[in-house]
Amino acid sequence: MRRKAVISVSGLVQGIGFRPFVYRLAVSRGLKGYVKNRGDAGVVIDVRGEEGAIRDLLRDLEEKKIPLAIYTKIDVNWVDFSDEYSDFIIDNSDMGKREVKHSLIPPDISICHDCLQELFDPNDRHYLYPFTCCALCGPRFTTITDLPYDRERTTMIDFPLCRDCSREFYHPLDRRFNAQTICCPQGGPKMTLYHPGGSVVDDENPIMDAVRLLEEGYTVAVKGIGGIHLAIKTTEDDPILRLRERRRKPSKPFAIMSPSLEEVERYAAVSEVERGLLTSYAKPIVALRKLEPFPLSGLISPGLHTVGVMLPYSGIHSLLFHYTEEPALVMTSANFPEEPMYITNKVAFERLMGVADYLLLHNRKIYARCDDSVIRVTDGHPIFLRRSRGYVPMPVALPFSSDLRVIAVGPELTSTASILKDDKCYLTQHLGDIEGPESLQFLREAINHIMKLLRVSKPDAVACDLHPGFLSRDVALELFEEFGAELVEVQHHHAHLASLMAEAGIALAEEIVAIDCDGYGYGSDGAPWGGEILVGGYESFRRVGHLEPQLMPGGDLSAIRYGRMLQGVLYGEIPQDELREFLAENCLKGFSMGEREIEIVFNQIERRINTPMTTSAGRLLDAVSCLLGISYTRTYEGEGAMKLEAAAASGADIRVDLPVDVEKRGGILILKTSQMVGSLLELRSSYDRGGLAHSFQKALADGFLEMALRAAEERGLETVGFTGGVAYNEMMTSIIRRGVEGKGLKFLRHKLVPCGDGGISLGQAAVASFKAL
Amino acid sequence: MLRGKVSGMKEVIKLEHGGGGRLMRELLEEVIVSAYRRNRVEGGIGLPEMDDGATIPLNGHNIVFTTDAYTVRPLFFRGGDIGSLAICGTVNDLAVMGATPLALATSIIVEEGFPIQVLRRVVESMNRALEEVGAPMVAGDTKVVERGKLDELVINAAGLGIADRVITDAGLKPGDQIILTGTIGNHQLSLLSSREGLQFEAPLESDVAPLWGMIREALIVGGITAMKDPTRGGLAASLNDLARKSKVDILLREEEIPLKGVVRSAAEMLGLDPLELANEGMAIIGVEEGRAQGVLEVVKRSRYGGDAAIVGEVLEGKGRVILETYVGGRRIVREPLGSPMPRIC
Repeated sequence: MRRKAVISVSGLVQGIGFRPFVYRLAVSRGLKGYVKNRGDAGVVIDVRGEEGAIRDLLRDLEEKKIPLAIYTKIDVNWVDFSDEYSDFIIDNSDMGKREVKHSLIPPDISICHDCLQELFDPNDRHYLYPFTCCALCGPRFTTITDLPYDRERTTMIDFPLCRDCSREFYHPLDRRFNAQTICCPQGGPKMTLYHPGGSVVDDENPIMDAVRLLEEGYTVAVKGIGGIHLAIKTTEDDPILRLRERRRKPSKPFAIMSPSLEEVERYAAVSEVERGLLTSYAKPIVALRKLEPFPLSGLISPGLHTVGVMLPYSGIHSLLFHYTEEPALVMTSANFPEEPMYITNKVAFERLMGVADYLLLHNRKIYARCDDSVIRVTDGHPIFLRRSRGYVPMPVALPFSSDLRVIAVGPELTSTASILKDDKCYLTQHLGDIEGPESLQFLREAINHIMKLLRVSKPDAVACDLHPGFLSRDVALELFEEFGAELVEVQHHHAHLASLMAEAGIALAEEIVAIDCDGYGYGSDGAPWGGEILVGGYESFRRVGHLEPQLMPGGDLSAIRYGRMLQGVLYGEIPQDELREFLAENCLKGFSMGEREIEIVFNQIERRINTPMTTSAGRLLDAVSCLLGISYTRTYEGEGAMKLEAAAASGADIRVDLPVDVEKRGGILILKTSQMVGSLLELRSSYDRGGLAHSFQKALADGFLEMALRAAEERGLETVGFTGGVAYNEMMTSIIRRGVEGKGLKFLRHKLVPCGDGGISLGQAAVASFKAL
Repeated sequence: MLRGKVSGMKEVIKLEHGGGGRLMRELLEEVIVSAYRRNRVEGGIGLPEMDDGATIPLNGHNIVFTTDAYTVRPLFFRGGDIGSLAICGTVNDLAVMGATPLALATSIIVEEGFPIQVLRRVVESMNRALEEVGAPMVAGDTKVVERGKLDELVINAAGLGIADRVITDAGLKPGDQIILTGTIGNHQLSLLSSREGLQFEAPLESDVAPLWGMIREALIVGGITAMKDPTRGGLAASLNDLARKSKVDILLREEEIPLKGVVRSAAEMLGLDPLELANEGMAIIGVEEGRAQGVLEVVKRSRYGGDAAIVGEVLEGKGRVILETYVGGRRIVREPLGSPMPRIC
């Protein structure tokens, strides 16, 4: 029997070759009608013909689904047959600006196998053309300016299709059929190599020339998909040292790019899980364990046992390696830490004067800036350090649906923002540290962009951190005033807890125990928190345990100079003269003004001048890192704890038991940390420092575990989670996970969003959707 | 703004509410300023502006009126005392409104048992400062409270001035230059060092000074669009005030900010931001670009302006203060909260 079906498909179905896929399914069955994009990022299929053939098509939509497609909802509406179509066609987009219900915008997709083949096929017209892409691959999120996803609403609007591209674009059976970002050397974007002043070095074969310069040790800025990198060779120390000086990054680990897995395996160990991540279409940076001896420069990630590696993800990057035998190139974002990634050639010329020796840029605009994503496999599971290119703007599915549209502005450092709508939460790309005017503006633009793509014109609630001084709070206040939305302040560690629950799909009424550890979050009492045991759910939480509060002389200065923090931790634990002598002999590098500073700090502590008390786990790890002579000052986030972990990972296999005492004061569990550090001090001269680092991490994990298990037992709770930046620590995660599972309880870890502050906005949004009424 | 942040039933006054930062501003806006239905003289500057003083238009003249209370520990510190502080603070509030000080009045509240000899020293110091300014003390009141009900001595001072042209906080325009008339942070660190017995590599001296002489000369050069004396909350609080009220951005160049080495290193050792430290003998002056050098020259020639410098400029914007750091980065200078608070995660 002949019938007609109107099929609405929601999900990730635009911009990934979905309509040609439907076209092929329909034409091969002799069906008539059309397929078209809806203005809300979904697709509607109007199909007429034999009912059996339509049912086959519906089955194949599922069974032969193209790799990137995600269906969140398929509605089929059967109606009586009518015969207005003689063919099956791909209709032009529906420009209706209805609200998006269930649909998604694709992330940037790394260059596919077929396009790579063409890239290196001398007979193909895309031969050595860096911007080649097709319906299945290429930039998406970074180019899309609005929906529906068509070329005129992408940055490719500047490059009209040539005759050949046009033919492919309109040929339903071509790989590039309806692919919005395709282009070729005829009229497509092009690369140019510049001098710092902006004069052209070469526009004939700029990539090959850039590679020659890289081989000679020059620093070359490279504009890619989501922003501008600085590239430099990795086989010698001097160029990297120069780059570190110029970019004021004395020891922050640089990411590197290698042409192939084989090449990566010459300098790093790659597990099955890591291999899968490296070669996935998102092509994130993966933190891999370095091989010993490490054949590349030790200055790539000094003092760490890992190195961040990615594979080429666009023609630009593939071509860089086509012209060279270099095993890897540093690819680090070109901006200063407090700035967002550079995306325009103009800014690159202005800001990279004196930094880049040459600039390899192109003339395609980057609409949405997007840093590379970073993943580390911890205890066998991938965990995001940074969730950005290749993943954004894919949402996190929530275990509940909210009537409220919520914008969460995130915390302050390594931040993201989020928009919660219905049963999904959309995290923005990595926003970085919100400290300068440009990053503040980026925060607002990123929010506006996602609002536009989701057709959210007005939020009902705006969530921000409880910290009264965060700049992101100003953006929250702006939105609050602009839209009259309700403002909800969410405590930092509560947001971590809620983020963990939300991505794990934990239901509304449930409560969990969270081991919530990081460097700093503004506590409900205004004190600096960071080593917390919280019990709670989306709506509320209770602080049931924490680390022993420690003096933090000079506030944030103790987070920068670890010697001060150590002095705070050991103050009162050992006699003052002994402490003074120990610090002066062993830890002066943890101060900037020598022994005089140690005296001032004693004074400062005694008179409590700018000396808050903190329960931070991160600060404690910094102090221990200093005590053991592993790391003295902070030049990037998490440095003390990361280097301590690296030392522990490669240290001697000794087992020293440090005292793990948990006591209950006023109903709250407290892990006594001063005596742990005090014992470590006594053992310091007798044991290998890596072994002691190992022992301390173990003791700290045991202490958190004990507090969490007691909290779970007392309240009859069955789930214990681990969140906050300290949860990147492999060994602590593994100890806590085994301990929790050993008690027959469920262990929760982050899988979809970072456990650090990049995951905070998800938690803020989830909490606010309950608190705002 | 967020209403009811500080005025909830359970809230009490914290030290931060007096720190000259955002918490203090919010307390004033929500509890004090909003309490008075009549809060200005017709046509003049009143409470809601929260400027350095109020103006009272009278027969074509602008009377400027201000008041301030002084508590300081210790009462005598290197470079000044509570007496000179009371007079200079009051005179400077008038001066940065563009007003010639006409007359002052004071109330002194003193604790039972306070040595009269010490009180005499305080009042003599007030007299010396008034002599320098050339303004009389014309009224006063003295109260004594029971031992233990007050810590030694509190002084309140009020000042009356007259201005040809009133200079407000809201007058900055894009293109204006920002002059700072002295080195920052001396006062607060000097007090801290005296009070807590902290030894730095060189003695720190408060900058407390009456600025009317210098500002009078500057006004004669002309082109001045805004002025403020960065006392509590320091440069960070005052520049944020100016930027917010003038609805402009201020770009500040770190390398141009006058800062003594000893203050820099002392602040660094204590984890304090020099931009948030209180000053008592310094003014921020906004000047039209063309007059900036002229104003700078007369300021530099004056008794308290030897270290003056142009430290930044005014840009179009939404009321932010942006610091261009020594190494070329740009960060936002926040309005201080009232006490230092960690942010690093």
